[in-house]
Amino acid sequence: MKTIYVLAEHRQQRLRDTTWDALAAGRDLAQKTGAELACLLLGSGVDAMADQLAKECPKVIVVDDPRLANFNSEPFVKALSGLLAGRDSYVLVIGNSNSIIDLAPGLSVALDAALATDCIGFEVDGGKLKALRQIYSYKINALVSFKDATRIVATLRSGFFSFAPSGAGPGAIEKVASPLGDEPLRKRFLSYVEAEKGDVDIASADIIVAIGRGIGDEEDLSMFESLADAMGGVVACSRPIVDKGLLPKYRQVGTSGVEVKPKVYLALGISGAFQHLGGIKGNPLIVAVNKDPRAPIFRAAQYGIVGNLADVVPALEEKIKELKG
Amino acid sequence: MDIIVCVKRVPDTSETDLAIDKGGKDIQKGDLDYDINDWDRFAVEEAVLIKEKAGGKVTMVTVGDEDAEEMLREGLARGADEAFLLSDESFEGSDGYVTASILAAFLKQRSYDLVLTGTLADDDCGGQLGGMLAAMLGVPVATLVHKVDVKDGTVAVTRELEAGLSETLDIDLPAVVSVATGINEPRFVSIRAVRKVASIEIPTVDREELGLDEAAVGSAGAKVEIETVFLPPEGEGAEIIAGSPVDAAVRLAEILKEKGGIA
Repeated sequence: MKTIYVLAEHRQQRLRDTTWDALAAGRDLAQKTGAELACLLLGSGVDAMADQLAKECPKVIVVDDPRLANFNSEPFVKALSGLLAGRDSYVLVIGNSNSIIDLAPGLSVALDAALATDCIGFEVDGGKLKALRQIYSYKINALVSFKDATRIVATLRSGFFSFAPSGAGPGAIEKVASPLGDEPLRKRFLSYVEAEKGDVDIASADIIVAIGRGIGDEEDLSMFESLADAMGGVVACSRPIVDKGLLPKYRQVGTSGVEVKPKVYLALGISGAFQHLGGIKGNPLIVAVNKDPRAPIFRAAQYGIVGNLADVVPALEEKIKELKG
Repeated sequence: MDIIVCVKRVPDTSETDLAIDKGGKDIQKGDLDYDINDWDRFAVEEAVLIKEKAGGKVTMVTVGDEDAEEMLREGLARGADEAFLLSDESFEGSDGYVTASILAAFLKQRSYDLVLTGTLADDDCGGQLGGMLAAMLGVPVATLVHKVDVKDGTVAVTRELEAGLSETLDIDLPAVVSVATGINEPRFVSIRAVRKVASIEIPTVDREELGLDEAAVGSAGAKVEIETVFLPPEGEGAEIIAGSPVDAAVRLAEILKEKGGIA
């Protein structure tokens, strides 16, 4: 492959952390394959971000167009396919995010490229790229290869590629005329919407009792509320509990929900998908109860019990009350 | 409003202990329960809700084998009007790209205003279908959608970003909308409702009827191949507290007290 391209993601005129993750992966791949490294920055009024990227990347290709201000996938796919047309033999790496989920699959079709989403690692084997992903509820690792390696798009899971400043000196900024034509967009960005605020702010809680899919069909949450009361904490949850309408969205811990930074996090019936773990910050003590011994939560937790919640939770509450005297 | 919903039947792997099969390229699936992909269940419900409001027809379609019929029939009981099974021996080994191509070939033979899918499938965790399908059909797409409002010729969607933030977009129809879980509350389907649709024929459509080349489907057409699958390394992991549930809970309470987990 000739070039490793890294697509910079930004929101409201700021580069997102996913961009630096992707640059770290891109730099590593460029080193392993001997390919060139270049960042692609598409946006509106992007000079400051271009300078920021050029400090860390030997080449930054910039397209400035007001229609690229927000990560609307329609103009992005069009502009990127125009930009990359004829530049064969490349890998385009992009940090995965909810904006990129909207963009990468369509882009891969437009580029006639192979796509691997949400990669957690790469191997270069005899000049051939292989990507590591997770399948089956993110519980199984899969190493995948690409039949035609001429054009590859790979999106990367956040947290698996860590960026360190290289201090390599300023790279070149190449400004390219916008490849977008005059045809009207069929998909139009309207606005950002902030989440509703609730009666409890789990982001500021020190002790969190979080429940997940593993509570089963139980709709009565009093057992968990009672335990949280005994501990002096609050009840939070993972996504399936919100989806079932059992708790409001402002109680959901995760990348799409609320980021929390407690001292103690008790995970009950939570499998520990990365979207959930991504919302737990500040390195708390994590304790998990789950009936599946292979649940990924046990890799994130310091202590665990493999068992049924109905057996463990009441006994736990009773002992906690006793210890409090 | 003609709505086509693309669904997939997947093994339930979320709460189950998984093992790798002998070939080393897949998991052992013999003992697993299969059902409609969780995300797709919300897509079916959303289609039926839109139909109930705006009128029209809901068509379900899947790529699979005859085992998928039960899932399609449940969708009919939920309120879909018709269902199609895209099935051919040559589809074996298809990747996300090929699956999207097969569905795109079916959609190109029909008229539709809106295509609904789930954003992600729990088996391949790829999140590719909606975006690929839209690109193949030449229509706009939005994924991770948790609110849909169909208007005259357009659809207003709200899609999830990170940390509680969402964005709203206005999209021309026809379009592909991939929904997020939690967009609605899928209704309960009684056995009686499933029986009522037992006589509805679910046509099977094969590769030739879709006008697809053998070289373009299955493992022949796939762009991405699985080399090997394995269980993630255990790493350091949690100290598992042994003993009866009550003994373990007692020990856990003591640990929590030590570490400041009791306010």
